Amino acid sequence: MDTPLLITVVDDDESVRESLPDLLREFGFRVQAFSSAPDFLTSEYLAQTRCLILDIAMPGMSGLELQKELKLRRYDIPIIFITAHGDPAERPRLMSQGAVDCLMKPFSEAALLKALSAALPVS
Amino acid sequence: MMFSRKPSGASSTIGDSENKNGMNNECVRSSATEDSLRRLIDAVPGFVWSAAPDGNVTFLNQRWADYTGVELCDAQGFRWTQSLHPEDAPALAVYWGQLLQSGEAGEYEARLRRFDGSYRWFLIRAVPQRDESGAILCWYGENTDIEDRKRAEMLLAGEKHLLSMIAGGSALTPILEALCELVEGSFNGALCSIVLVDLKHPYPASEPVPRIQPGAAPHVPPNLVPGADGRPADAVLCPVAMAAVANEQVIVGDLNHETRWDGWRARALSHGLQANWSTPVTSSKGTVSGILSILHSEPQTPSTAQRNLIAQCTHLASIAIDRARNEAALGKIRSELTHLARVASLGALTASIAHEVNQPLAGIITNASTCLRMLGADPPNVTGALETARRTIRDGNRASDVINRLRALFSKKSITLESVDINEAAREVIAMLLGELQRNGVMLHPEFADNLPQVMGDRVQLQQVILNLILNATEAMNTISSRSRHLQISTHADDNDRVCLTVRDNGNGFDPQDAQRLFTAFYTTKSSGMGIGLSVSRSIIEGHEGSLWATVNEDGPGASFRFALPRKPQCDNAGESVTIQEPL
Repeated sequence: MDTPLLITVVDDDESVRESLPDLLREFGFRVQAFSSAPDFLTSEYLAQTRCLILDIAMPGMSGLELQKELKLRRYDIPIIFITAHGDPAERPRLMSQGAVDCLMKPFSEAALLKALSAALPVS
Repeated sequence: MMFSRKPSGASSTIGDSENKNGMNNECVRSSATEDSLRRLIDAVPGFVWSAAPDGNVTFLNQRWADYTGVELCDAQGFRWTQSLHPEDAPALAVYWGQLLQSGEAGEYEARLRRFDGSYRWFLIRAVPQRDESGAILCWYGENTDIEDRKRAEMLLAGEKHLLSMIAGGSALTPILEALCELVEGSFNGALCSIVLVDLKHPYPASEPVPRIQPGAAPHVPPNLVPGADGRPADAVLCPVAMAAVANEQVIVGDLNHETRWDGWRARALSHGLQANWSTPVTSSKGTVSGILSILHSEPQTPSTAQRNLIAQCTHLASIAIDRARNEAALGKIRSELTHLARVASLGALTASIAHEVNQPLAGIITNASTCLRMLGADPPNVTGALETARRTIRDGNRASDVINRLRALFSKKSITLESVDINEAAREVIAMLLGELQRNGVMLHPEFADNLPQVMGDRVQLQQVILNLILNATEAMNTISSRSRHLQISTHADDNDRVCLTVRDNGNGFDPQDAQRLFTAFYTTKSSGMGIGLSVSRSIIEGHEGSLWATVNEDGPGASFRFALPRKPQCDNAGESVTIQEPL
């Protein structure tokens, strides 16, 4: 069997960094979590990441800025945005900029699975 | 002059020491004119008297006897002092003694008892008569009735006192009590009460129904004062209620000859009260706002002067009642404004709250999903499930902490005074706002002074002010893109023993001309918001005996808002000063 796909979580909120990777591992993925965008950009996992679950509002570099930076560096990683600002009006704008999905915290397991299947059509 | 019969025309008066020859001539001729002189002296509208150099009164005119009911022989020597008011006698004795010692003319105001037992104020004047060597031959004196002037003075002083109470913001009850006592002092032996009248419309289009509420009745028997039950006034129950319903003065000169108000009348008569004058107090809107009632122990109707006095007193009552009612209405508006401002801040904070709560909720749901999967696996991963369940609880507590902080900040409770650490209060507000500041790209620079004295105040209200100032500063920097946004929150104790907190931004500042207008309700330079935050903030700070003001930064762009509060007294009631700080 192939090594499981790597999903990376970038979120400044500790409870998300703790809980989300465990659930993703239960799904059968490998997971790495980072508390900031620069930490991820400088890590060895950048190239291996097959899907990025990304918080929008973070101190320093925001999720949107990281998305731009990845485009500049020509990394074509599917991105699932997660945000705690429960404003559904933002969703279409984020989607139009190339995100696979945008989940409003708190999101259900089903919503996460649906977003993952859209991001990783092969699996 | 009246006593002068000299052809020379030179004037001569009693006590004119330079014209003793004239006096002597008068004495020589006195036998011929004694009767007419006596008639003259008795006709003078006052008491005329003379006394020996040692102060022994040797003569008093007939008017004295007529007034006091004390015959001259019983008043001579020092016995006349029996007619003095007991409160005035000791001081007058001292004064009279000093006059006799010094030999100078003088005057004194004192009350003298009339034959019927009542007292009136008199101005007592004494002038020494000297011989050629300057030795005192005798004293001449005259007492003038100054009751009316004295009453006017007392009324004026009472009025001044009442107005200063009203202007000083005293509560309504003590003001009305003082007014009742003023009325009682002005109407000998009368009892005064004031009830409040509130006009209520039972239905929107109906006639208003007056309701009587307790006002003040310092000495009136309680069972004669209506209003304790708060029911609509019923004119058949008592004259006060009748005056309230009709909005007209009700004068009952003799309750013995009255057929109305059976129960009330019987109670009044049993207290020995036989007359009642009930006068409406008219508000500035022209409606009845109270009734001033005067009860007398003797049957009587008001004279013109007394009617004027009553009018003066009801006018004072109307000022006091109007002011108290306006204050109450203003207080209600103010608290509504405060609440509105909280709601407005709440609106601005909704995003922040959602963020704060959604973060732990996301953790909870994800953890629970993980937990279910771990337990549902074959074999179940119990160790992993336990760990995830623990994290679920922790995230749940985090969410609940957020809610508790919010509840404390926005609950509509009345002011509670406690000792507040401004640094701590500000830190809590900042903790709440971190998300909001971050989203606005604002860099926060807290500079909290060490050993900052505590202040006495309402912690929640003060935190609301801090919240307002920070949100304002954040908004002021919203449009700044050419430079980074810096927000500085600093505290210090100033030289006047006050605790200061400053919120400084580097936004666009404001026109210095607007420094005062900024704090006016509904004035705003922002595109959104109602502009009531700063006015409410100022009223909160001023309610804490502090001040809040704004300045344009001199050493850079932006504005600074600062409040200063008096520090908590260091040695107040030792028992109460021990206040444990409760975390929110």
